[in-house]
Amino acid sequence: MTLPLSTGPHILGKRTTRGIMLDVLIALTPAAAAGVYLFGVRAAWVLGVAVASAVATEALWQRLSHRPLQVGDLSAVVTGLLLGLNLPSSAPLWLAAVGSAFAIVVVKQLFGGIGHNFLNPALAARAVLLTSWPARMTTFFLPERTLLPVASTAMVGDAVTSATPLVKSGTAMIDLFWGNIPGTIGEVCKAAILIGFIYLLVRNVIGPHIPVLFVGTVALMTWLLGGDPLTAILSGGVLLGAVFMATDYVTNPMLIVSQCLFAALCGVIVVVIRQSAGGYPEGVTYAILLMNVLTPLLDKLFKRRAYGEVKQRA
Amino acid sequence: MPSKGQKPSMGGVFLNGIFTENPTFRLVLGVCPTLAVTTSAINGVGMGLAATFVLLGSNLVISMLRKFIPDKVRIPAFVVVICTFVTMVQMLMQAFLPSLYASLGLFIPLIVVNCIILARAEAFASKHTVLASAMDGIGMGLGFTLALILLGSVREIVGNGTLFGLDILGAGFEPMLLLVLAPGAFITFGLLLGIINAIGNRGKTNKAAKGGARA
Amino acid sequence: MKKLSFRGGIHPLAKRHEGKAETSGKPIRDFVAECVCIPMDMHMGPPCKPCVQQGEHVKLGQVIGEAVGRFGIPAHASVSGVVTAVGPVQQLRAQPSLCVTIRNDFKDELAALEALGDVESAPKHRIIPAIQAAGICGMGGAGFPTHAKLRLPEGKAVDTIILNGAECETFLTCDHRLMLESPGRIVDGLRAVMRAMGVARGVIAIEDNKPDAIESMRRAAQGRDGVEVAVLKTKYPQGGEKQLVTAVTGREVPGGGLPMDARAVVINVGTAAAIADTVIEGKPLISRVTTVTGAVKDPSNLRLRVGTAFADAIKSAGGYREAPGKIFAGGSMTGTCAPDDSVSATKGTNGIVTLTEREADAAREIQCIRCGRCVMICPARIMPYRLMELYERGELNTAKQEHVKDCIQCGSCSYVCPSKRRLLPSIKSAIEQLARRRNR
Repeated sequence: MTLPLSTGPHILGKRTTRGIMLDVLIALTPAAAAGVYLFGVRAAWVLGVAVASAVATEALWQRLSHRPLQVGDLSAVVTGLLLGLNLPSSAPLWLAAVGSAFAIVVVKQLFGGIGHNFLNPALAARAVLLTSWPARMTTFFLPERTLLPVASTAMVGDAVTSATPLVKSGTAMIDLFWGNIPGTIGEVCKAAILIGFIYLLVRNVIGPHIPVLFVGTVALMTWLLGGDPLTAILSGGVLLGAVFMATDYVTNPMLIVSQCLFAALCGVIVVVIRQSAGGYPEGVTYAILLMNVLTPLLDKLFKRRAYGEVKQRA
Repeated sequence: MPSKGQKPSMGGVFLNGIFTENPTFRLVLGVCPTLAVTTSAINGVGMGLAATFVLLGSNLVISMLRKFIPDKVRIPAFVVVICTFVTMVQMLMQAFLPSLYASLGLFIPLIVVNCIILARAEAFASKHTVLASAMDGIGMGLGFTLALILLGSVREIVGNGTLFGLDILGAGFEPMLLLVLAPGAFITFGLLLGIINAIGNRGKTNKAAKGGARA
Repeated sequence: MKKLSFRGGIHPLAKRHEGKAETSGKPIRDFVAECVCIPMDMHMGPPCKPCVQQGEHVKLGQVIGEAVGRFGIPAHASVSGVVTAVGPVQQLRAQPSLCVTIRNDFKDELAALEALGDVESAPKHRIIPAIQAAGICGMGGAGFPTHAKLRLPEGKAVDTIILNGAECETFLTCDHRLMLESPGRIVDGLRAVMRAMGVARGVIAIEDNKPDAIESMRRAAQGRDGVEVAVLKTKYPQGGEKQLVTAVTGREVPGGGLPMDARAVVINVGTAAAIADTVIEGKPLISRVTTVTGAVKDPSNLRLRVGTAFADAIKSAGGYREAPGKIFAGGSMTGTCAPDDSVSATKGTNGIVTLTEREADAAREIQCIRCGRCVMICPARIMPYRLMELYERGELNTAKQEHVKDCIQCGSCSYVCPSKRRLLPSIKSAIEQLARRRNR
């Protein structure tokens, strides 16, 4: 009898990277479903193409570069779905496909694949699309139907709004919350995002501190600058970004304290971009991307005291 | 680069600048103007030829004067020579190619501080014969020009749908605006650097390709 | 009552009751093998020198290996009978160990040491020498000679003796059973140590997943001078020496230091019982309780003679339920793998656990996704993911600056990693390479 020798632990925890990605996908399902319900079949096509393109490009890249096929870890699916949710339902399908391919090849694989990207792939791709085809990215269809309850301000129909300001003044909170407004597929229905958030918390995939601090800072800053904090939170992609993108493991810092700073700074940047008349209607994407870039610095800046570490005399 | 002892062949020196030591893709020199002006292929041609002219002229003169320039003040002396040629190029372009001059703008006078030129003066012209230095200047200049044209073409085709101003992709194509903007320059340059190094190193090792893609 | 704890930590195998449910209700059963093979290097430090020859008849408890060096401890015959071999045998260490093999004649003729009598009246200065003579070393696994732990260097002072009854390791229930079945002996051992060292406070620390053991120890501690029972939160590695000191005293052991630098000494409950046996009866350390569990038909707690082969112990526990894929000594977090089942149980073997081939299958390792779980749970509060990265890049000096040596090697990081990265093995290798570099 010869048995394998190895260092402990001999039994590992049940949680896998694939399982975590699956949890994120499940948490994204309500937002995706709400988007498809509100914007119709067209939205489903956009999401589907984004996911398919992400998976296909990753598989193709790994095949061409003679690396082990790792599509099974589902991270490409998450990237594709997140990008899809960040697109307007009016987006042409090729836009979704190009965006996903860019996210996977340039942002993720060229830097070493899963775990090595320094930017959130979906957000980086969104920024690229936004810069490359600004008109396509800011043409929003109005929802085809509404989610109850509805206030009289709900906007429904086949009309197209272009380059909308964040919120049309006078929109009722309740419509902002249920998503009876134009916007990207995933960001409009705040109720669905909150369901996903609770699921992630229950499954212990993320802690509450990043989303709460992110959203809290946006509210606080808006209030300080004389705006309405609730509208600020419920409009645009703040919730989607805070729950699903700022919490991306790979691109946020490792320690809780630096994560808190990361989230708060994200919030500050969002408000700064929104308030400055820079012509950008939405700052969440750029806020998170900017903080992604700062992440290695935050990791270097904050060190925790090891157990039993004695302050060395200088 | 051929070592000092053996006499370099003229053809070798010429090709060296275009392939083995391409200033843009292998030495990664003069990246600032490279990124800034390559929004179109024609800009690449203009910038590349202007730099080639300066390179040829400065290499020639510095090689001729190499025995007379004291070592301690060689850098200021090189810069004076380079300045002379840059001023000439600037004036010539302003006079005969005003539209190109307008689109290249500040980057023409900035050729003075383009490190390719000073690097060749220091590393080659001050140590080799006049003929070899001239060949090196032309080779390096053409290498730089080709690189700029490649970069400019890719950015112009994808970012604008045209090449040398000609509409080549038809009306159905929606150009990717990003590529003619600053971030597009970095992304395209990084990708091309990666691809060219990957091809150049095929059979040797993959490491440089990875490094190139990360740049 | 406030439950004591430390920062960080995990709950391994939480859904399987840490793998303890199978054996926690099994009373300790004696098992004597026909043949024992006693390694001379059961403790930390220089191995013993064998002092018996092949063919010689030895009595139970007779010294068969002499102590070497100031901190050395002797090895005793754990059965009476004839020495059949003295020579190297492959054991749990990387290199074969020098072993003395004895065929049991089942007569159990005892060659006892001198007993000191009741722990409360035994002469204080003779207790520590008696512990050394009885060959007692830490029975929690590491095998550090106990007398060396109790003999403090000049200038060090200790105010608390902590008995480690946390048993945070998975699968093991031997300390649990001992606390239920011989609580008096454990308290006696603690009192002996307290008297020998002149320490007024003795704390028996037990995790709250063993309420019966807490109850049993509380009753036994009643009326004993300075002995108290502390309840710990159930969490791995609560029984780690440093974590235990922090949980009980609130003090941290300084980096690179020992518990005595935080004015505490930690002793396993099994060791305490062995000390009591020595002081009261003059019995050397020749047997210990071992949990035999995993893929065996009848998981049990066995009192094994030192040197019993794993195969014999497993046979006594009903034999294999399924072909074994892995056997290790200790729990699943820190246990040492056995190359086969012929190796011997030693003074430090608290468990013999077998896994089926399916359980032993190693998961595929993928890239780190920076989820931060290892950072969050690390009880040493170092950055496992970063240290592995540094090790892979060969940047050992940076790893040293980032406290790689403060790792307590509990394996929690490897356990929680969703990408199944071999974090602990990398950190261990980094520490070993640093040590080798220093010796050079």
